Amino acid sequence: MTTTDIGARPVIDELIDGPTVLSITEEAWISLVGEDEVLVPIPGELPADVVSSWVDVVGPWTGSVVLTTSRRTAEDLSRALLRESAPEVLEEEDVVDAFGEIANVVGGSVKAVLPGHSALSLPSVGTAPEIRNPADVCRIDVLWRGEPIVISVQGALPALPPHSTTP
Amino acid sequence: MRALVIDDSRAMRRIVSSILTGFGYEVRDAGHGGEALDVLNEGWVPDLATIDWNMPVMDGLQFVSAVRANPAWRSMTMMMVTSESEHTQIVRALAAGAHEYVIKPFTADAIRDKLALLGLLPQEVAL
Amino acid sequence: MTLTATSFDWVRQVVHRESAIVLAPGKEYLVEARLLPIARQKGLADVGQLVDNVRTRPNPEDTRRIVEALTTNETSWFRDGDPFTTLTTTVLPSLLSARGPNERLQIWSAACSSGQEPYTIAMLLEDAMPNAAGRVSITATDLSREMVERTRAGRFSQLEVNRGLPAAMLVRHFSRAGSEWEVNSTLRRMVTASECNLAAPLPRMGPFDVVYLRNVLIYFDLPTKQAILRRVRALMKPDGWLFLGAAETTLGVDNDWERVVLGRSSAYRPLKGA
Repeated sequence: MTTTDIGARPVIDELIDGPTVLSITEEAWISLVGEDEVLVPIPGELPADVVSSWVDVVGPWTGSVVLTTSRRTAEDLSRALLRESAPEVLEEEDVVDAFGEIANVVGGSVKAVLPGHSALSLPSVGTAPEIRNPADVCRIDVLWRGEPIVISVQGALPALPPHSTTP
Repeated sequence: MRALVIDDSRAMRRIVSSILTGFGYEVRDAGHGGEALDVLNEGWVPDLATIDWNMPVMDGLQFVSAVRANPAWRSMTMMMVTSESEHTQIVRALAAGAHEYVIKPFTADAIRDKLALLGLLPQEVAL
Repeated sequence: MTLTATSFDWVRQVVHRESAIVLAPGKEYLVEARLLPIARQKGLADVGQLVDNVRTRPNPEDTRRIVEALTTNETSWFRDGDPFTTLTTTVLPSLLSARGPNERLQIWSAACSSGQEPYTIAMLLEDAMPNAAGRVSITATDLSREMVERTRAGRFSQLEVNRGLPAAMLVRHFSRAGSEWEVNSTLRRMVTASECNLAAPLPRMGPFDVVYLRNVLIYFDLPTKQAILRRVRALMKPDGWLFLGAAETTLGVDNDWERVVLGRSSAYRPLKGA
């Protein structure tokens, strides 16, 4: 960022990198999913039927921290979190609760890395917010128990025009 | 000993409750600060409350302030357990009256260490 | 998978013998994941080679690293509490009254791992005495270069600062550094970290007023324990204090120490004339 270009705002690559997002996610996994749970940083192919959980971060950088995986894996994750209190048949609200809490914990740690003060939304679960600016995305791909999960820290604002003039 | 686990996520309430039950605590839970105040107003005042920050209806910081305003609840130790992990947020919570602060993500050992610091770990677990 | 059944069994036996913790069958992947950083750091191709090396040429320091990697996720701050609280309640007042106002206190953290112990000591002293940074120097040593570098950096993950560090001390002595927390520069200046092998002749250091030598002796045989205690004593002031781990003692190992009960724990002081 330069002081002369008032219209500039940071894109996520300037604020956080993939290895940091990976270590944040690994710590969340150890805490929530289980102390022996390992994430392998290898990309896999997501199926067509996916579900996302995310939290929004609003501050000097504004966007979402999004986890996307197959519906089946989201259910397995929810069972892992709920353990003995998991119901026989998982309801949508169980997945919203548990998968959403993972986004909350990952999002909270991402927010702490970003400069300045930001606010964190309550988690949502469903179809991920659209990517407004492909240059404002930090994405990592991991395998959990062999199943692919994508973690994406993505801006919510469209790209600025290339030669923004200051008023 | 008694603990009140306050978090809007049922999964998180399950995780914290099972850790505390493992240490011998009798545990109740609440989905937000307002529900937690209802439990206290019933007369069930625990030794420990674990408190999430971001919750609907009444957030954790408002709950801490409400507890601080009532001298009858002074014996209760308040420990934030939250994904809010900025330096300034921790300072805010301590200034509002929280006694301790655990940042999500945490492990069971982290809760045990904090309870040991607070003198809230039954002796047989501490040894 | 590089770990053979024989290697896994050996790891299980060692972990059980040293820590009484049972690694269930099927935890091979856990052993792999936890030991891989140690193997890499030693320039070995995989965990199988690491285990084979230690099996064929037993080595207490590597054994300790393996056991620690498999039994503790993170080192706690204020681990075992009392050896730290008694530092400010008993040891420090006695030392300050015995020393001149311009004499520097020297403290040695002799197996500092990733730095929790020396920085715990630094925080306590900073909170307990004015101008601690000008009056105390803390020497932190470890066999592992990686641990020495981590101690020097003074940076800790979120999971690490969650382990037994009071929140008030976290906000007073640390600042955020990316996804980690960094010890403030005042404390970092109090701590000097270097590599040191306790089982070999020690470098010229000290003389120390206080030595923390905790959870190290348990990994060595009796003659080595005796040699280490003798070498440590030679680097201490005659009225210095030694803290050992909760399961360790000089009794029956080296008789040239006096045991002093402090709260629920003990410290050891060189016997006069020994």
